[in-house]
Amino acid sequence: MGAWMTIDTASTMAASLPDTATQDGAALLIRGLTLAYVMPDNSLNEVVRDVDLTLRRGEILGLVGESGCGKSTIALAAIGYRSPDIQVLGGEAWLGKDDLLSLPRAALRAIWGRRVAFVAQQAALALNPSLQIGQLLADPIKRHLGLEGEALRRYQIELLQRVEIADPEIALKRYVFQFSGGQQQRLAIAIALSCRPEVLVLDEPTTGLDATTQAHISTLLETLVREDGVSVIYVSHDLALLHAIADRIAVMYAGQIVEVGDAHEVVQAPRHPYTRALMLAAPSIETPGMVSGIPGRPPLSTVRGACAYAARCPESRDACVRQDIALEPYGRHLVRCLRAGELPPGAAALAPLKAVPVGDVVLSVRDLVCHYVRTIAPTVRGVSLDVRQGETIGIIGESGSGKSTFLRAIAGLLPPTSGTVEFRGQPLAGAVSSRPRAQRGDLQLIFQNPDSSLNPRQTVGSILSRPMRLFRDRLDRAQEHAELERLLDGVQLPRAVLQRYPAELSGGQKQRIAIARAFAANPAVLLCDEITSALDVSVQASILEILVRLSNERGVATVFVSHDLAVIRMLARTTLVMRDGAVVEAGPTADIFTTPRHEYTRTLLAAVHDLPRSEVSSP
Amino acid sequence: MSNALQIDVTAEAPAVAGRQPRLWTALTASTSGMVGLTLALIMLAIIVLGPLLAPYPPTKIGLGLPNDAPSWAHLFGTDELGRDIFSRFLSGGGSVLLVPLLAVTLATLVGGGLGVLGGYSYAQPRLGWLDQLISGIFNLALGLPPLLLALVLIAGFGTSRPTMVLAVALIFAPRTGRIVRGATQSVVTSDYVTAAQARGETLLYILTRELLPNIATTVIAEFALRMTWAVIFVAALSFLGLGAQPPSSDWGLMVAQARSFITVSPLAVLAPATGIAMLSVSLNLIAEALSQHLDPASRRRGATL
Repeated sequence: MGAWMTIDTASTMAASLPDTATQDGAALLIRGLTLAYVMPDNSLNEVVRDVDLTLRRGEILGLVGESGCGKSTIALAAIGYRSPDIQVLGGEAWLGKDDLLSLPRAALRAIWGRRVAFVAQQAALALNPSLQIGQLLADPIKRHLGLEGEALRRYQIELLQRVEIADPEIALKRYVFQFSGGQQQRLAIAIALSCRPEVLVLDEPTTGLDATTQAHISTLLETLVREDGVSVIYVSHDLALLHAIADRIAVMYAGQIVEVGDAHEVVQAPRHPYTRALMLAAPSIETPGMVSGIPGRPPLSTVRGACAYAARCPESRDACVRQDIALEPYGRHLVRCLRAGELPPGAAALAPLKAVPVGDVVLSVRDLVCHYVRTIAPTVRGVSLDVRQGETIGIIGESGSGKSTFLRAIAGLLPPTSGTVEFRGQPLAGAVSSRPRAQRGDLQLIFQNPDSSLNPRQTVGSILSRPMRLFRDRLDRAQEHAELERLLDGVQLPRAVLQRYPAELSGGQKQRIAIARAFAANPAVLLCDEITSALDVSVQASILEILVRLSNERGVATVFVSHDLAVIRMLARTTLVMRDGAVVEAGPTADIFTTPRHEYTRTLLAAVHDLPRSEVSSP
Repeated sequence: MSNALQIDVTAEAPAVAGRQPRLWTALTASTSGMVGLTLALIMLAIIVLGPLLAPYPPTKIGLGLPNDAPSWAHLFGTDELGRDIFSRFLSGGGSVLLVPLLAVTLATLVGGGLGVLGGYSYAQPRLGWLDQLISGIFNLALGLPPLLLALVLIAGFGTSRPTMVLAVALIFAPRTGRIVRGATQSVVTSDYVTAAQARGETLLYILTRELLPNIATTVIAEFALRMTWAVIFVAALSFLGLGAQPPSSDWGLMVAQARSFITVSPLAVLAPATGIAMLSVSLNLIAEALSQHLDPASRRRGATL
């Protein structure tokens, strides 16, 4: 044990370690990379510390972790990009004989696009909107490959065909905004691959896209880079996706690599408690179970003289917080954990789902049809639904399937063109303003983006007390305060947040407040519109835990709309699959996921990457 | 184990203490805001207290020789009619500030009110026409050249302070209205307004509690910026003989009347011109500091780190 305790990095260890391949076999060799953010007061905040990474030739290396762990920062710094608010405190990034971190800007320009390419998360923002695709594609090719005229055109068309853009000749004349999100990302990939780079850096290239589009693009990417023999750094928060396409995975926490190695081994036999916790936070379709969040929050900067994860780690010991922990080899991977040798590898299975007692029908929707504009086709076309007390109904579908509109119509925000909504046998008026007060309190809507659903100029206290005053029997000050505290306890937030403004809270905390606001009205039915889609997987897990516990305690029914099938698999008793405004399949969730009848449901299911779970359980 | 628990800084505690920066803090924290504020206070003191401190009546002629050089009796010298320039300077700031202040207040109330109405109806399913109507009126009014509009009004109603206020307000209302409409639009489409609608809140509640607090900073910054322009515009009207009339000591008028004698008594032009410049620069610096506060990036820094 003593030998581990010396401060050290993987680079000082022998070349026999799995990660320290020789420079000949490496496409990109990152050594001792340490980065800091320059804060507004010009102080430095170290966010990446001593990262050693070897990108082998022709491999896909996945970089995974929660937001703020430094994965995107590393990916950009690794190709020599220095944004003004980042300072490189040390390290090297060798691309062949060139250290990208010490090259002058002019030399980097000859390398970027030619030998190293980058694809950003949002292609719509990364591609110049005022240039035609042809021009966008021509610049790097002319500059680096020197192709002109007919040869250039033929090459462009070939590129567009490779990324499966229909009618490439017409596409060359069009602009970025004329393509869908998925197509835009494929165009960005075509541009990145146009000069046959040695190294390709992908920063969350499919995040924010539909599950099916995501699956299509990641499969396409994998095919292309394998054909070209490009070495890829793939940054993502999605462990399951990386498991499906990456050769090796590096798990990042607080600016350090905590576990790195063969993708299958890292996922099937994770040894770092953080990697395991990430897997327990990810819902699964094949082995459905209750997820569990990671308590606490990741630190905002690197931690020295202790294990950065110790504060949240159930396995931590005194020794963990007294020293820097080194990356040690285990099997075909490296782990930064003092106890990695003692603890059995493998992630625990998800906790079994509890059956919830279900009561009478509370909400009944019949043949609902909604138009945004009368003259064009309806957004929702005749959807019916019965929700029982205590039950969760899942609605899945791609964006544009009408699932959010359906929720808004139930909430009375968009009066339906035809069809009925009944609450406990009473018909509900189409517009919320015509519904009596009690009915308005009984249906509560929770939104996707907590940044936009909480008024930035109101304190949490006034945000939460408003629905209470509107929909509950008159409470005196002391009762109201007691009720506020009960709500905060329910969403596991300290009472001090009552005086805070939303901007002072994290995304997950804001979403908890949004949930608390819905429960403040003492509702019978919750309408949840993609409420975890904007959150990290570990934060999503805690939010779902809270939602499930509160709904069960209070016997509240939930209609949960999501494009994430695994979340629906976990939450819902009954599932509706929507497409183009209509329900294509509905039934008990287990049946829909195991024996889907409709072709479209099968397509959706085929697009899901699931994490394999070993049955080895940690004690 | 105990150590491990100690470094856990209260699980999921609120990010960091520290309020969202308030308007006043935003002003005093930035250099331009502080300079602007100080300058504006000095100018306000001159304009308000000046008439009381003036050693001579500002319109009394023949106090000294015409166009006399500065002396202890006449600090800034005298103008072509032998009036004391220092006294005229001290008493001439009132209309330069008051007319723009009234005009911009009126413009903000009328233009801003219409802007909020337009921005709000933009996001409502069956009220889109109202927004289009209001935007149409704004665009039509914006098409009229400002000086021409002022000329026509003053020709019609004569030169009086109410006419000036009305003319300037009419010119600025659609400009302020457009800004306010844009600010309203981005707030009205937020989910927290939708959430308020789903609770069945009244229009009054939504406007005063959800909407106005979130556009207030924009409106205040816009007000300060309009004031800058209005000060210059009103001074220009007086300079052209359309505003204050002789023998008033209005700064714009002073510049106009004394400009032929600029070589012999330059202070008669410089003093009021500097006054106008200082006033508008100070307002502009305040407006700039407020706009920086509006910049989401600066707000984020102040809020979470």
